[in-house]
Amino acid sequence: MFFIPGPVIAALTFPGVIIHEFGHLFFCKLFKLKVYDVCFFRFGNPAGYVIHEVTEDFTKSWFVSMGPFFANTTLCMLFCTAAFLPVWVLRVFDPLAYFFYWLGISIGMHAFPSTGDLTNLWKIAPTRARQGNLLAILTIPLIGMLYVLNFARIVWADLGYGIAVGMLGPVAIFRALARA
Amino acid sequence: MRQDVCSECGVSGTGSRYLLKDRVYCEPCVGKASREAMEKGESPHYIPLSQSRVCARCGASNELIDFTTLRGQGLCPACRQQLQNWPYPNWLKIGLAGVLLLLAVALVNGRKYFHAGRSLYIGERLVDEAHFEQALPYLQESLRIAPESDKAVLLTAKAALKVGRVDIANNAIQGHEGGHFEDPGEDFQEVKALWDRANKAFEKADKAAKLEDQDGHAAEAAKLMHEAATEYPESKGLAISADMFDEGTAFEDKDYDKFVSIAQKQWSSYPDSGTAAVLSSAFACKYAITEDPNYKKQSEDMLKEAERRGGQTPDDKKSFEEYAERIRYRLSSREIISKTEYNRRFRSAQAKSQ
Repeated sequence: MFFIPGPVIAALTFPGVIIHEFGHLFFCKLFKLKVYDVCFFRFGNPAGYVIHEVTEDFTKSWFVSMGPFFANTTLCMLFCTAAFLPVWVLRVFDPLAYFFYWLGISIGMHAFPSTGDLTNLWKIAPTRARQGNLLAILTIPLIGMLYVLNFARIVWADLGYGIAVGMLGPVAIFRALARA
Repeated sequence: MRQDVCSECGVSGTGSRYLLKDRVYCEPCVGKASREAMEKGESPHYIPLSQSRVCARCGASNELIDFTTLRGQGLCPACRQQLQNWPYPNWLKIGLAGVLLLLAVALVNGRKYFHAGRSLYIGERLVDEAHFEQALPYLQESLRIAPESDKAVLLTAKAALKVGRVDIANNAIQGHEGGHFEDPGEDFQEVKALWDRANKAFEKADKAAKLEDQDGHAAEAAKLMHEAATEYPESKGLAISADMFDEGTAFEDKDYDKFVSIAQKQWSSYPDSGTAAVLSSAFACKYAITEDPNYKKQSEDMLKEAERRGGQTPDDKKSFEEYAERIRYRLSSREIISKTEYNRRFRSAQAKSQ
């Protein structure tokens, strides 16, 4: 496994960092949570952050923590779907398609919520699940899986996730369309 | 010096004052208020009033304004407003608008690829279901956008070869770097096997065609053509040619009933200018030996039909005219002669006089 410094990866995939932090900020504002500080991008670890008020409301906390995961995943799939065919299947050299594929993978690579976000969510999820919160019940496995995957970033799990979404997503979409 | 009034006991003074949940308390009252807040499940934290007059975020200090607190920290009104409604920076708004614009461009730019991709996947599914004939137009459509795609080329070639369209397979393969494939995987091997089989069959068909042009070799030519058709049964053209060569054998053997029978079968299976002309020729033979005017009429009718259906290319038209001339001679002279003999008698003389 080769080592590339985090700031270099962040710089190469900066659109994903900015969109991830925008997702946090968007949901904080939507749920009227106080925001103490925001950094959309920097050459450091973490590459971006949103420091916000901690809430006991599971739904708000879930959206603030997981919102960027779904937003980044969706954007990754959309950009990669637009570029997947010329790059991988049709083998057409279209520079625009390659640019969109990079953009899609960059965004998908930064989909994972940070360990801090997941820790906050993980603290309250089991209690809320026991209280019958459907969102907590349904997403506990996802939260757990993302928690583990976050640690696997050291072996490029985030890049793997971006590529998987950017390849398997479009394949699934086109196969479904072909059968429709 | 500013005097602050305890919100609990109403005593005013300049002594120690504290702030709890944005209310000012004197020292004796703040402890009680803190305990009550804790019992209610609220934050019991309080801070000296003097500290609340220094903004924890921007460091601004103002004795005259009561700063509000947030998590025990004094905040000036501007900072509090910022924290409660953090603004989106302008560059971020522009950037996000740019991302949405790029997404729109990506989707518009990808439209032709979606079309080609959809055609490819539909074609692939039809090939998997062995519906090669239906798959071919979809695969050709995908090739129009992506002639370099291994998948599109190999699927098109496979579907084309499975329905005997060697010309389409050849165009698809030649359009892909002149037939070069970097990864000769399973699909490539399958197409190569089909291609080799088809080529071998067409080589035999070429030999058969050359033999047929020579008088007295019709039976041998028909045998070779049947071998070619058996080797590559996917080609309707070879099967038709094999039958046509049988017509040649029947003609050479002077078995004109068989000639008519095969020509009729050909005409009913593949009604076109060529089969109509051959049937006209067969009826002309029958007329020549029986003198039955019905055969003459049938021959003339079929010749008109062949002319009406006409070939598409100049070569087809030329070929038809050459054949029609010999049929008309047969009908007028009631003499059955081979093409070679006809050429010797009439065309070589024409060529010499010219």
